[in-house]
Amino acid sequence: MIKNIRLAYSMLSPSLLWLLLFLVVPIVMVTVISFTTSEGYGGIIYEFSTHAYETAFLSSMYLKVIWNSIVWAFSATVICLLLAYPFAYFIAHAGKWKNLLILLVMIPFWTNLLVRLYAWIILLNGEGVINHFLQNIGLISEPLTLMYTPYAVILGMVYGFLPFMILPIYSSIEQLDKTYLEAAEDLGANPVKTFFTVTIPLTLPGILAGFIITFVPAVSVFVVTDLLTGSKLVMVGNVIRDAFLIEMNWQLGSALSILLMILVLLSVFIFMKFTSSKDKKFLI
Amino acid sequence: MTSEYMVQLKNITKKFGKDTAVNELNLDVKVGEFLTLLGPSGCGKTTTLRMIAGFEKPTEGEVWIDEKQVAKIEPYKREVNTVFQSYSLFPHMNVFENIAFGLKMKKTGKDEVEERVRNALKLVQLEDYVNRKPKQLSGGQQQRIAIARAIVNNPKVLLLDEPLGALDLKLRKQMQLELKHLQQSLGITFIYVTHDQEEALTMSDRIVVMNEGKIEQVGLPHEIYEKPVSKFVADFIGETNIFECVVSEFKGDYAYLDIKGVTVVTPKNDTLQLDESVYMSIRPEKAKVTLTKTQDTLLSGTFKEKIYVGSITKIIIELPNGREMVVNEVEDDLIGIKSGNEVYVSWQPEDSVVFKG
Repeated sequence: MIKNIRLAYSMLSPSLLWLLLFLVVPIVMVTVISFTTSEGYGGIIYEFSTHAYETAFLSSMYLKVIWNSIVWAFSATVICLLLAYPFAYFIAHAGKWKNLLILLVMIPFWTNLLVRLYAWIILLNGEGVINHFLQNIGLISEPLTLMYTPYAVILGMVYGFLPFMILPIYSSIEQLDKTYLEAAEDLGANPVKTFFTVTIPLTLPGILAGFIITFVPAVSVFVVTDLLTGSKLVMVGNVIRDAFLIEMNWQLGSALSILLMILVLLSVFIFMKFTSSKDKKFLI
Repeated sequence: MTSEYMVQLKNITKKFGKDTAVNELNLDVKVGEFLTLLGPSGCGKTTTLRMIAGFEKPTEGEVWIDEKQVAKIEPYKREVNTVFQSYSLFPHMNVFENIAFGLKMKKTGKDEVEERVRNALKLVQLEDYVNRKPKQLSGGQQQRIAIARAIVNNPKVLLLDEPLGALDLKLRKQMQLELKHLQQSLGITFIYVTHDQEEALTMSDRIVVMNEGKIEQVGLPHEIYEKPVSKFVADFIGETNIFECVVSEFKGDYAYLDIKGVTVVTPKNDTLQLDESVYMSIRPEKAKVTLTKTQDTLLSGTFKEKIYVGSITKIIIELPNGREMVVNEVEDDLIGIKSGNEVYVSWQPEDSVVFKG
């Protein structure tokens, strides 16, 4: 037995080492730096201080930005879910087209999000494709402000992270044993009732997974606000980046990162609690 | 006036692409009957069941349930319920919610749901398990819950698709009897699919033997066993000795059959013709082995071996033409017999069955 455990650990060691080096060590570093004293211009004096946290909490700006980020990311995630579920359901039932459709979902990953967001600038811009079209058909006389709004931010996030939602939901629908659906139908449930009483509950693990892996990157993204609002709107990701790279205030950047991490963990935890209260054992 | 038949299959055919699963099948199922569709895997029995449930639509032909053509009735509106092979209990619901599912879909009142679920659980003897999740139940218990979930809806027909297939032998035997008693006390028409011939013989009022999408024989269990109409049925149901033979002579009430040099006798019937090639079947338990020739002796052969299987002893005999034959003896009278000894086989001609294909 002991030999087997050793073997198991030695097999795991490359991934454990990876996690240690690139997850645990950076988090510890960021945590430590957040409690040090700033020397100005990026220098770190290793003296305990809670100054960075005081700045974050006392200025309503930072809390507002974090709140906005959570609201926008949450909205984008919910929209992703509403779009992704029917789409994933469709793919899972598409027979021989399944693999092709999944490929189409994956293809955008081959290009950087930055590049793909530039395409949206061309579409949304005051002189962009959409405004041009609407003016030409006479629906509007003045160009609409499509960019520089929270809606543009949410649109960008939905666009960027939709595949993260589709894939786990698709796999849970795909793996759903079809005899459960037949059993429901056999017991008198019409297709709509079957969907809500059987399909949705049994694919909840996929929905949860999709929700988490969409929400987490969405809440900390900064390229979307940069490109689609020309940095007029900011998310916490922008603030953290600017704290490190422009203000050279590593303590504040670190403190905000830690706060964001705690808030994300908290909201994921609340979300899971909320959706799985009835069936914890089944879901976990 | 209500009809004598609960389910009628009128010339139904089901094709999956180029494969024909069910081929021009006609069947009438009587009200309150326990009918079994029996056959090897791939014979079309499950497809037939699924067409009654509505999960498959017949390529041709009509399904009638309680005097109504059901082609346009979706499965969720049909008054039939199914017990699935894999049980398919909803994993996210407890036992109560599983059983109450069908009643809730019909918007039954809360008190009535409560009462009917309790009664159904009482019928399957699992009253104390209402709050369990399917995962927390044994295979046999899941099976009972699946049955309770179906019968609680008072279906006109209960369809059972190899429901005991996953249980061990002892539990399966017990469940066979329980199901049979349940069916008798509820009076619901049962259509049961199995490939297990013993199960079919134990439980059924009537058995439909299927092969390659067609019905080979419909009959009472003892008819199927004692009077198989084809080689397939004789071979599939129970153990038997089948001989290829030629009708060589008619004498009185008997026909003489030639099994490659050995002559046996069988009751004459009108369809037999001289020099016709037919098959004759004799069940191992209908034949008898003796060490000396008696007036009933029909064959002689050499003793090869005996196999003790508990309740009976199987005796394997090699016939002069090289074929082997099995005879079951309840008491082993052949003490001291050695391989190669000559023995004599007899049976009542009336116990043999002759068929053409």
